[in-house]
Amino acid sequence: MEKVLIIGGGGGGLILANHLPRKDFDVTVIDKDEYHYYQPWFLYVAFQGSRRKIWKPIASLLKPGIRFVKDEISEINLDERKVYGTRKTTYDYDKIIIATGTSPDPDSIPGLREIYNEYGDYHSNVQNSLKLWEHIKNFKGGTVALGQAGPVCKCPPSLLEGAFQLEEYLKKKNLKDKTKIKFFTPFPRAYPAEQMNKVVEPMVEERGIEVMTFFDVDTIDTKNKVISSIEGDSINYDLPIIVPPCKGTKIRIVPEKVKNPDRFIITDKKTMRIEGYDNAFAIGDVNTVPTSKTGVTAHLEAQVVSNLLQGVYDEFTGRINCPFDTAYGKATFVIADYENPVVPYPPTRIKHIMKMSMARIYWMTLKGQADPIFDYYFDFTNPKKLNEKYATEA
Amino acid sequence: MTEATIIDSRGSACPGPITDLARAYRNSKVGDLLELWATDKGVQADTAAWAKKTGNEILEVKVDPDKIVVKIKINKR
Repeated sequence: MEKVLIIGGGGGGLILANHLPRKDFDVTVIDKDEYHYYQPWFLYVAFQGSRRKIWKPIASLLKPGIRFVKDEISEINLDERKVYGTRKTTYDYDKIIIATGTSPDPDSIPGLREIYNEYGDYHSNVQNSLKLWEHIKNFKGGTVALGQAGPVCKCPPSLLEGAFQLEEYLKKKNLKDKTKIKFFTPFPRAYPAEQMNKVVEPMVEERGIEVMTFFDVDTIDTKNKVISSIEGDSINYDLPIIVPPCKGTKIRIVPEKVKNPDRFIITDKKTMRIEGYDNAFAIGDVNTVPTSKTGVTAHLEAQVVSNLLQGVYDEFTGRINCPFDTAYGKATFVIADYENPVVPYPPTRIKHIMKMSMARIYWMTLKGQADPIFDYYFDFTNPKKLNEKYATEA
Repeated sequence: MTEATIIDSRGSACPGPITDLARAYRNSKVGDLLELWATDKGVQADTAAWAKKTGNEILEVKVDPDKIVVKIKINKR
């Protein structure tokens, strides 16, 4: 029986645990939190005041026979094959998978902590999303500065999704004429991948959202309400909606060289193996795989590791499939892989229904019960095939 | 001669190589050399626009069969 230790009860950790046959593997999942959250819904908590219950106990999301331990890990020693918890507990393993996700870092930018505490955001947690909703609900007009502080962020579409949600809300409340939405981004265009930008840019313009490109937040002067960028520009704001930079794990890892300066774990982009170790993997947002930090990546990486642990050859193709709510009842998906660029996939009502349905089938997905649907879907929406249909240029 | 920091962004389609460049720029100082490796064809136009905006210098763009290499010198930070 092989002893598998999974650090983190997010999407990647749970999908992997539930895919390993219990007759061959002794699986333990460790998380510092007792609950698992459906993070894509934070958007609707913050911009629509949704009160949907988007959390479930991690233990209830694991198949029988899988152990769950609530503990805050302080150190993972890959050379000794030992993991240290906070209550002087020690765990050993044959195989380890680090799936801790990212952590918001509002302290790395001067002034951001104050904004984070006062206004919240829509990436970190339910409490912060509710805090932001309180400010949006009571907003009476002025300049809203919305964007990401720092180039590394979870879910690339979520930034524009926030701007689109806000615009729709302001329009409904008749506040549009009294408001300016300034969307700032460290990238050359509103959406970083050019092919998708071509699809959404006309909507950004039509809705009067002003885009400030190459704007990477340097400092925030909360007294005078000014955000300044590394590139030398500035924005005056009345309401700041700022997604903090995200960093990797705070857990100490031995050897330290497997982490990059932003605390992400240096991982092989096809096998998810941590550089230099055959028995250690990193999946989901915590790794350095060159693709979007998104649930679908964690999901597909978990399946790759599950196959590899069972001795079945597999590799991650870099597939992404990020739902992108363009507001007014429509959505699209950002689809690509390592070999194929992002598809210029137009927003439709049916894609919006699909995005909304995901909130329901998500819990089945974690247990692997929705695998046949996903296998069919991923084949149907293969980026190579879709590009043949939608891409206007090679 | 300062050794170039290699930023390996090959395979990245979204958010793309410019994310990795922006991150490296954040951690850089004047005089640093960066070498961005990418497969995304948009990298040439994006880095040129980036260099113009930030006041940094593109020393060389090399198109290899398996990757595009953009060499950058940080003049302003």
